[in-house]
Amino acid sequence: MKALDLKLVRDLWRMRGQALAIAIVLAAASATFILSMGVHRSLYETREAYYAQNNFGDVFSSMTRAPRSVVDEVAQIEGVQQAQGSILQYAILDFPDRSEAVRALLQSVDERGRDRLDRVTLKAGRMPMPGQPGEVVADEAFALANEVGPGDEFDAIIYGRMQRLRVVGIGLAPNYVNALAPGDIVPDDTRFGVFWMGEEALEAATDRTEAINALSVKLQRGASEADVIRAIDRILAPYGGAGAYTREDHPSHAFLESELDQLEAMVQVIPPIFLIVSTFLVYVVLGRMIRTQRSLIGLLKAFGYSGLAIAWHYLKFALAIALLATALGAAAGIWMGRAMTELYGEYYHFPFLRFHFAPGVFLSAGALAMGSAALGAVSGVWSAARLTPAVAMSPPPPPVYRAGFVERVGEKAGFTAIGHMIVRHIARWPTRSAMTVGGVGLSIALLFATLSFIDSSNYMLSSYFFRSQQQDLSVTFTEARNEDVLFELAQMPGVLRVEPVRALPVEMSHANRVERTALEAIAPDAMLSARIDQDGNLIAMPPGGLMLSRQLASQLGVRPGDNVRVKMLGGRRTEAMLPVGAMVDEFIGARAYASQDTLDTLARDSAPVGAALLLIDPAHRDDILAALKAMPVVLSIGDRDLEMARFQEMIDGNINTMIIFYIAFASAIAVGVVYNGARILFSERAHELATLRVLGYHRREVAVVLIGEIALLVAISVPVGLLMGYALAQFMLHMFGSDLFRLPFAPADATYAKAALVVLAAAMLTAVTVARRVMRLDMVRVLKARE
Amino acid sequence: MFTPQRGSGKLARKAMPPDATASPAQAERTAFTGRDLRKIYVTGETEVHALRGVDFDIRKGEILVLLGPSGSGKSTLLNIVGGLDRATSGSLHYEDTELSALDDADLTRFRRAQIGFIFQFYNLIPSLTAEENVRLVTDIADDPMDPGEALALVGLAERRHHYPAQLSGGEQQRVAVARAIAKQPGVLLCDEPTGALDSQTGVRVLETLEAANRELDTTLLIITHNAGIAAMADRVFHFLDGTIARIETNERRISPAEISW
Ligand SMILES: Nc1ncnc2c1ncn2[C@@H]1O[C@H](COP(=O)(O)OP(=O)(O)OP(=O)(O)O)[C@@H](O)[C@H]1O
Ligand SMILES: [Mg+2]
Repeated sequence: MKALDLKLVRDLWRMRGQALAIAIVLAAASATFILSMGVHRSLYETREAYYAQNNFGDVFSSMTRAPRSVVDEVAQIEGVQQAQGSILQYAILDFPDRSEAVRALLQSVDERGRDRLDRVTLKAGRMPMPGQPGEVVADEAFALANEVGPGDEFDAIIYGRMQRLRVVGIGLAPNYVNALAPGDIVPDDTRFGVFWMGEEALEAATDRTEAINALSVKLQRGASEADVIRAIDRILAPYGGAGAYTREDHPSHAFLESELDQLEAMVQVIPPIFLIVSTFLVYVVLGRMIRTQRSLIGLLKAFGYSGLAIAWHYLKFALAIALLATALGAAAGIWMGRAMTELYGEYYHFPFLRFHFAPGVFLSAGALAMGSAALGAVSGVWSAARLTPAVAMSPPPPPVYRAGFVERVGEKAGFTAIGHMIVRHIARWPTRSAMTVGGVGLSIALLFATLSFIDSSNYMLSSYFFRSQQQDLSVTFTEARNEDVLFELAQMPGVLRVEPVRALPVEMSHANRVERTALEAIAPDAMLSARIDQDGNLIAMPPGGLMLSRQLASQLGVRPGDNVRVKMLGGRRTEAMLPVGAMVDEFIGARAYASQDTLDTLARDSAPVGAALLLIDPAHRDDILAALKAMPVVLSIGDRDLEMARFQEMIDGNINTMIIFYIAFASAIAVGVVYNGARILFSERAHELATLRVLGYHRREVAVVLIGEIALLVAISVPVGLLMGYALAQFMLHMFGSDLFRLPFAPADATYAKAALVVLAAAMLTAVTVARRVMRLDMVRVLKARE
Repeated sequence: MFTPQRGSGKLARKAMPPDATASPAQAERTAFTGRDLRKIYVTGETEVHALRGVDFDIRKGEILVLLGPSGSGKSTLLNIVGGLDRATSGSLHYEDTELSALDDADLTRFRRAQIGFIFQFYNLIPSLTAEENVRLVTDIADDPMDPGEALALVGLAERRHHYPAQLSGGEQQRVAVARAIAKQPGVLLCDEPTGALDSQTGVRVLETLEAANRELDTTLLIITHNAGIAAMADRVFHFLDGTIARIETNERRISPAEISW
């Protein structure tokens, strides 16, 4: 090894604490980068492979009932490669030992294996066979959650009739990567599952001989989606076509897509924070190192080392740290990536989902780490390369100190000499001080943003369940009903109030923006379905106009007073221009409301009742649930408190891990910044500290010089950090929101305190650790050396 | 906001009464008593015997000059006497207090109450003005002079607001002297105070030290390589190889101005 490299190794070893502190912050950048990029890639590539292998459709439509012949008609449309018709039917499964209703979505499959689109991947058993009407393939997640396997049999109410089903296989398909029961916002595999049933069997069970109610279409490469959709809608119009839509609006795909978007957002937000802080740390530490090695650099140059050789020598110091950081970050990133991928495996059903070791991701992470370390090194390395031997070997000019504004104030406030030492040193190194404030501030900001994310989720949750959901139970019917069913429900003992949910699938457009949603009716005397604003007051339903969720309004780009074109999907396909009369803050879903009259006018009929909202006497709860479960027209029962508990559980499960990660990350930044700051401070001031000791200052009084400066900087960084956090949180919420939900910015008061206190604690612990060096200060030795 | 705790340790109160009338003449006169003081530095395998058992009595108010070749143990003794370092063995008393038995906090209190140091390199805090460097000491001393007064004593009243970088070496050393005498210490310990100064400046510094001795009755220990300075002392300790080889007593002290440099 060359002598200069030996020096590098020794320098690294001597400064191992500082090098490690930088490496950890930089490793956090690599780790979060590898984590989010890796998981994104894994999810994305798995999805693409799965879609390709099982031939997931591009365009979909549902309809009331169409003859099977429309499939050929659709297949003739220009740009369509393949079309496939099927039957979708909700059913209720009879699991006698279960108190809550277990529901299934039956999806028809060709018994002769002629399906080309949305094919099922079998995990066990076989597909249903012709002439075996009760045979079904259960979806894997449901089978696992309910311990159902081939050979198991149970009764099901399909289309109002009881039928015995027999599980012959376990499988999964790309159109159900994420399957939500109607009315649910969280997947629940124990209560809902997809079952594939033979086409002939399902035709018979639902009285749909040679008829279908769902269509899946594969497009040719380069085909125009919009043209195909228009053609499909035209063909299906007579059959109650509900409007064709692309993958973007396919529930399963849309969910995955929003997850991928979030991962992408994470890549853009989180790693850069760590990269910025590491760059600053390298800048400060290497800058200080080069200043202390000034005369040595002069000596080396006098020996004949070129400026380039010197520059490369110091650059290697930074790169070595980056290399270590990449290794640490890769290990942490893989570990976290695996854990996160596993978590995704629970929510998304893929035949396989493994964390993807893409060399490209690791290379990018390494390049980013090297790049930011090198960036931080540039100014120091440049000054080292430029030093001429003569200048380098003469002592540096004495630092210039000045009493600043703070001090003129401080003078009056009775600053001690120690106070002046602290304040003037900060002012002497303004860049470094600002970077320390910025670094610690960023760690507060990161923690604040993360914690306020949780506040947002909680706010969204309580808003959804306590403001948007006034009912105790919501009952979804197997088919749209008329009003009779409401009377039937109202008769049940213990039911205090019943309100219908009437909704029409619509397409809303404004200028060039188009959104599909359900338009829900709100009756004039509505109590349970009435919309309530954030202060708990009823929002008046604008007569003849629309009430839009803020989410939908922003997607359409409309404000109150604007007109929106509303087109009914299915039914009579009527169109109307309706003014936006009111807005409602809802964070889940992009929904729209109108008065019942408006809806009836649009539908040219009384809109059908798809579900009912119930207010009940808690004493009768079990009886009511049992009675509802026994009603054949009831597909599902939503229990608000139960759902809220499940949602909370899901959030808590994910978020606790997240909090721990981010507390660790934020602390890593604070520790890295403060440790390096304190070490540099200590080395710069060792001489002065020893002098103070000689003058009769106690160790703890001397430590005040060290800790005082850091404490002052950290104190300044609290408001700075919270301000940055405020901006970062809103930016992150904006990045992470999707069409499916929007997170409101609603930080709890405690979040400010928590973010500041965690970072303060980490910072001060670190400062105190370094200050302990004051204890070991050798006065005599320090004073022997001329500063 | 940054007020350091005022030192009022037991040593400061108990052992150094301003007028120890109860003490017999003996205690009045003796500042330090050292018996068989040894200092051994152990670095790895090798042992350096910096002090090989020295005995001495230093009288209150006397001027003592320490002479001797490089490495003979002068600084080592000065540092031990000033409570910066500890002897490996032997006993050391300041008045009635056994310094060799004090812990670090008490040694610090001792320094704070009794000792002023002046070094060859002035050890001023570069971020503090001349006056503020003096205030470093007056902030924590029990009965200090006014910082301005201390600077006036060294003839630098006009330069009180200047930073060390704006002062010459001699001026810096005089600030260091002002800082050392501002707390009206019982003892001033000077390790080559004129080592980095020309003769004229050196004389000024020595005059200030002597004035402190005369007016405040401060015991003065001066290490120097300049044998001429020995003439201003009451006594001279000649060091050789870790021992005090010879103690010379001057019949008459000369004033610094008369020193042949
Ligand atoms: N920290 C230490 N570790 C090891 N040896 C030391 C240490 N400090 C001093 N010594 C040794 O102790 C001996 C006495 O040193 P001291 O500094 O007292 O000498 P001195 O008389 O002041 O010399 P000078 O006139 O050169 O200042 C020397 O041999 C020195 O090398
Ligand atoms: Mg010496």
